[in-house]
Amino acid sequence: MSRPGFVLEVDDRTPPLLVHEGLGFRLEEFPLGTRVVYPPEPIDPVADVEQAIHDALHHPVDSDPLPQLLFAGMRLTIAFDDISTLLPTPQRPDVRQRIIEQVLTLAADAGVDDVVLISANAFHRRLTADELEAIVGERVFRSFFGEGLLVNHDAEDHDNLSFLGKTEADEHVVINKRAAESDLLVYVNTTLVPMEGGHKSVGIGLSAYNSLRHHHNHDTMVNSTSFMDRHSSELHASAWRMGRLIKDHVKVFQIEATVDNTVFPKSVNFLQKREWEWSIRDQATMLGTRRALAAAPLKLRHRIFHDMRSQYRITGVNAGEVEAVHDLTLAKVHEQQLVEVQGQSDVLVLGVPFLGPYNVHSSMNPILATCMGLGYVFNSYRGRPPVRQGGALILYHPLNEGFNQLHHPSYVDFYEEVLADSTDPAVIGPKYEQQFAQDEWYIHLYRTSHAYHGVHAFYMWYWASHAMDHVGDVIWVGGDRRVAARLGFRAASTLADALEMASGTVGTSPSITYLHNPPHLIADVR
Amino acid sequence: MSASGRRRGFWRGGVDDVRQASRGWRWGHRAQVPRSAQPWVPETESTVFRSDWARTKPAIAAREVVQRAGLEPVFRSSVRTRVQGLDVLDRLEGPVIFAANHASHLDTPLVLLSLPDRWRRRTAVAAAADYFFDTWWRAVGSSVLFNTFPIDRRGGTMATTPGEVLEQGWSLLIFPEGTRSQDGWMGRFRMGAAYLAHTHGVPVVPVAHRGTFAAMPRGRSWPAPGRRQLTVRFGEPLRPRDGESVRDFAGRVRDGVAVLLDEESTTWWEARRRAATGTTPDPAGPRVAQWRRLWEQSASPQVEPVGRRLVAWRRDRP
Repeated sequence: MSRPGFVLEVDDRTPPLLVHEGLGFRLEEFPLGTRVVYPPEPIDPVADVEQAIHDALHHPVDSDPLPQLLFAGMRLTIAFDDISTLLPTPQRPDVRQRIIEQVLTLAADAGVDDVVLISANAFHRRLTADELEAIVGERVFRSFFGEGLLVNHDAEDHDNLSFLGKTEADEHVVINKRAAESDLLVYVNTTLVPMEGGHKSVGIGLSAYNSLRHHHNHDTMVNSTSFMDRHSSELHASAWRMGRLIKDHVKVFQIEATVDNTVFPKSVNFLQKREWEWSIRDQATMLGTRRALAAAPLKLRHRIFHDMRSQYRITGVNAGEVEAVHDLTLAKVHEQQLVEVQGQSDVLVLGVPFLGPYNVHSSMNPILATCMGLGYVFNSYRGRPPVRQGGALILYHPLNEGFNQLHHPSYVDFYEEVLADSTDPAVIGPKYEQQFAQDEWYIHLYRTSHAYHGVHAFYMWYWASHAMDHVGDVIWVGGDRRVAARLGFRAASTLADALEMASGTVGTSPSITYLHNPPHLIADVR
Repeated sequence: MSASGRRRGFWRGGVDDVRQASRGWRWGHRAQVPRSAQPWVPETESTVFRSDWARTKPAIAAREVVQRAGLEPVFRSSVRTRVQGLDVLDRLEGPVIFAANHASHLDTPLVLLSLPDRWRRRTAVAAAADYFFDTWWRAVGSSVLFNTFPIDRRGGTMATTPGEVLEQGWSLLIFPEGTRSQDGWMGRFRMGAAYLAHTHGVPVVPVAHRGTFAAMPRGRSWPAPGRRQLTVRFGEPLRPRDGESVRDFAGRVRDGVAVLLDEESTTWWEARRRAATGTTPDPAGPRVAQWRRLWEQSASPQVEPVGRRLVAWRRDRP
């Protein structure tokens, strides 16, 4: 029986608490009275994953069973989430592989010949062959990749995009042409956090700039409070409008798998546990890991962390009509991640871990660190933000990983040119976004290399819009001062310094909340 | 930074980490759970080690040596004690149940070392299974030193029950509160001691002591310096009356300890009169601010020095 999440109040018995900071972690001694939100322990997984997938495909919600939707001579497209979900990269076999294999087995039995698999990467970088193989498995990869039937979605291949129409809010809906013209589009999703899945899968994963610009912008993100709560998220409202329009044109069979909270492998089990329950062995592992990381050069530290494989176990598989499936998915994700928190505080403390959706096998550059801290982790709430309007946000990250020139070429220019002019997302969007979105060189790199689209850096900055709009002060503990200044923030050496710096905003004895994340949690703030 | 500077930083960082961990996780002490996390402590299926061997002849002989040569000198050098009421034991044959208030780990050695030798050698101590019998070394240590046997505070069954120990002719020392007081004041009495007396027909000797909380409260692993004063007082044995329920008898045992505590701060006569009129001070302490409760209990009891005892006929020296 797993224990629910809870809110710890730091007292004299509380040991130092672990805070992630990029390619490392520190032990922080929080002031007495600090509230620390701990995620629930991993909930019970399904007993038999293969059977759970089988049941979902044969007994879907609000849809005919998949075998009845498959017939000889049909065009079948299977789209799947790319490497940006299930972080860190899960150990093999990936659940997407297990689902796709069962779908293909049914398709083969039904005599379906025309099958294409598409990685729904939108403006994310093209996956390498190895990355595709890791997701779909060796059998599927060998059967389809060589034939050109296992591909990355190309949002700049205008010949292979279909305009489906406009929503009631005048939003253009454009998706991958192959998907749009298929008799059946099977979408295989893995939902790690409640932001993912639902109509976001097809409506965003297989779309293009003309669609994305409607919801990937400053105004939408400021009005998404939070983007982890579908019902209070303007981003999701837009995606849902688009999804309903897509549903009128394409038969979508959505499959969503949910996972538990086993983020870290057993070798670093202490990262999963509550600190006062650390055994002698956990403490020794922590001390050893700290020394090893202190001695290792940046590249080795990067390798140590990025070679880690998550141990997620599958807690549910649901299939059928998109919205009905997603309701079941959200219920399961909330069961795993929701923690009730009473009221807001003056200061919110967040650790920014080594990995986010956009730096898999890559570096967490300052813009991605901002997106991760002020975007993903800050938005890990439902109801109200855990910090009051005008409060202070204290983040931990060294901001020193630099930029990966292969994956994030436009980020460099965004950092050097755009942020040098302004850090206000409301200002830089209208002024610079089009230039980056239409830059031929960035488009060329996106289509032929493994670069994120030129406009992606803007989207990352918009992701932080709500936090920037909400809090009065943002301070990075342990952050490079020069980099923090370029981002429009401040840096401090220690938590005590950061609190001192924030005292102008929140006073000298502020209430503090720390979200102990990862493992993932959603603070249900009442 | 130079290479030697980096090396120095590396080692200094390591030392700082170890220091922080040793302080944060209380190395050498029992781990603590933050108060707000206590509702979420998982129920552990801990292994409880047997202690029958602790009441065999070799173990009794070993304990005599350990208590006489080790425990007693250390105890006497760390605290001062005043024992009263032992005459009640002259009128008793064992076994009995000693029921005492519980405020510190000093309570057990205080009561045991206050007993006459023949009683001490035949007294076993009920100890929490989840605390004293969760590891083999703790189980062996406490059994050798104090002749402990495990009881389950959550009401489970144990390999050795207190009833069996009683039936073997051993007296028991039980702390009916079940755990050490948080603030030195007495808590609710559980019914285990009363139940055993009821079912096995043995008397309960109430025992009240003061000063152990001031000398070594929760969180301390050694008495505070300065040889703090402890007092202990044994009361008249209590037996269940005809038709008296276990619950009522447990209340009477608690009242017996309360009267002894009252006697500690007044006199036997005053305490008896107050008991007769039902005005014995509540041993749970006054309902005042927590700091005042702690403040009062953190003071060691005042004991008249032996050389300045009040005498009925003072004879002035010429």
